[in-house]
Amino acid sequence: MSSPLFDPTAGPVGREAPIAPRPARLDGLRIGLVENTKFNSDKLLLRLADRLGRRHGMTVSRMVRKRSPSHEVDEAAIDALRKQSDFVVSGIGD
Amino acid sequence: MADSDPASLIEAYFERGWTDGLPVVPPTEKSVAEMLAGAGLRRDEILGEIPGRNTVVVAEKVAINAALAGCRPEYMPVVAAAIRGLCHPDFAYHGPASSTGGSAMVLIVNGPIAQRLKLNSGNNAFGQGWRPNGTIGRAVRLTMMNVMQTRPGLLDRAVLGNPGKYSFCFAENEDEHLWEPLHVSRGLNAAQSAVTVYASNSLYQVYNQLAAEPEPLLLCFADALSNLGLPNIKGFNQALLVVAGEHAEILQQSGWSRRQVQDFLIEHARRRVADLKRAARLPGEPTAADETTWRYFFEKPGDILIVRAGGRAGAWSACLPGWGNKWTRAVTTPIGEIP
Repeated sequence: MSSPLFDPTAGPVGREAPIAPRPARLDGLRIGLVENTKFNSDKLLLRLADRLGRRHGMTVSRMVRKRSPSHEVDEAAIDALRKQSDFVVSGIGD
Repeated sequence: MADSDPASLIEAYFERGWTDGLPVVPPTEKSVAEMLAGAGLRRDEILGEIPGRNTVVVAEKVAINAALAGCRPEYMPVVAAAIRGLCHPDFAYHGPASSTGGSAMVLIVNGPIAQRLKLNSGNNAFGQGWRPNGTIGRAVRLTMMNVMQTRPGLLDRAVLGNPGKYSFCFAENEDEHLWEPLHVSRGLNAAQSAVTVYASNSLYQVYNQLAAEPEPLLLCFADALSNLGLPNIKGFNQALLVVAGEHAEILQQSGWSRRQVQDFLIEHARRRVADLKRAARLPGEPTAADETTWRYFFEKPGDILIVRAGGRAGAWSACLPGWGNKWTRAVTTPIGEIP
């Protein structure tokens, strides 16, 4: 005799998340930064942006500060990043 | 499909990684249907979503996890309400569920359902021995693992975790409450049942057998809530105090209000900036001014949640530090019961 198993799992629901087009060149791009409020995350991101500026003439167009590491970037900030930046650097862990 | 003898079925669930490390109760069509009926839920009913994880929590999956956890069908309304609470934007699930801090999701049950289900609010309220306490919290954790993408080592990055991650559910002792019950203090009426979800990575028992007045007793609480290793020293903490036994009597006999207790704790849960710098919780060397500059850990009375639970004898209570109200907030959700 056999009995059915009841699958208790559910995977993430499929949502289309296409990768943004890669820039053809690096020189002079506008950088958007997403700072998640972790300690020193702003400093690290700005240092990174500074290096990119020196190497490729990039500039920071906008730095967004999340409410907390738990929260997503709000829609208004995403919209502003989209309009003002050529690419975004995000993500600081522990 | 699996061999239908109970031991083989249990092993089959282990083999698929669907358990919390303890044996589960293999569900049946009947038990899953009863679980849904227990809360008046349709199979495809959506209990909540976590947008950042592309997670949608559907009732049938929660019912299967509740059955696995060993719940009775009448527990299901509490489980469903707790899941709704976890999915509330104020709870901001991703942080407390994923953080290296390894939070337990503390479930505090209030209102008539607590007595009807015989949830323990007395001796050993945090401990073993009561089916609803054990299985409701377990059902929520299994749902987090199996449905809400919160698996250890993947999107659950706990460094140590804590035993409360298996289950942490208790009822408030409303019969002998100091003031109004927690859910009433948070805007619901006393006749309404509710569950409050609260993320905490530790449980610190506070002992004081000599205090006969609130002040010395509350200094112990304030000290526990402002230790140098606290996760959040930024001044916007949330904390849960579980007042028990003789400590509850001291507060009750003093006539202090909830607000007085909260204000006292706000005033005394603090550290000198110099102490925080010496402990490398703040950068830099301590200055002369730092020796007399205080950093306060709480900003609002409502961020100090106080409940009464536990045995009547003994001089123990508990503090459960939270994460900070900007990162996650306790959420109180009404429990929808079947008439």
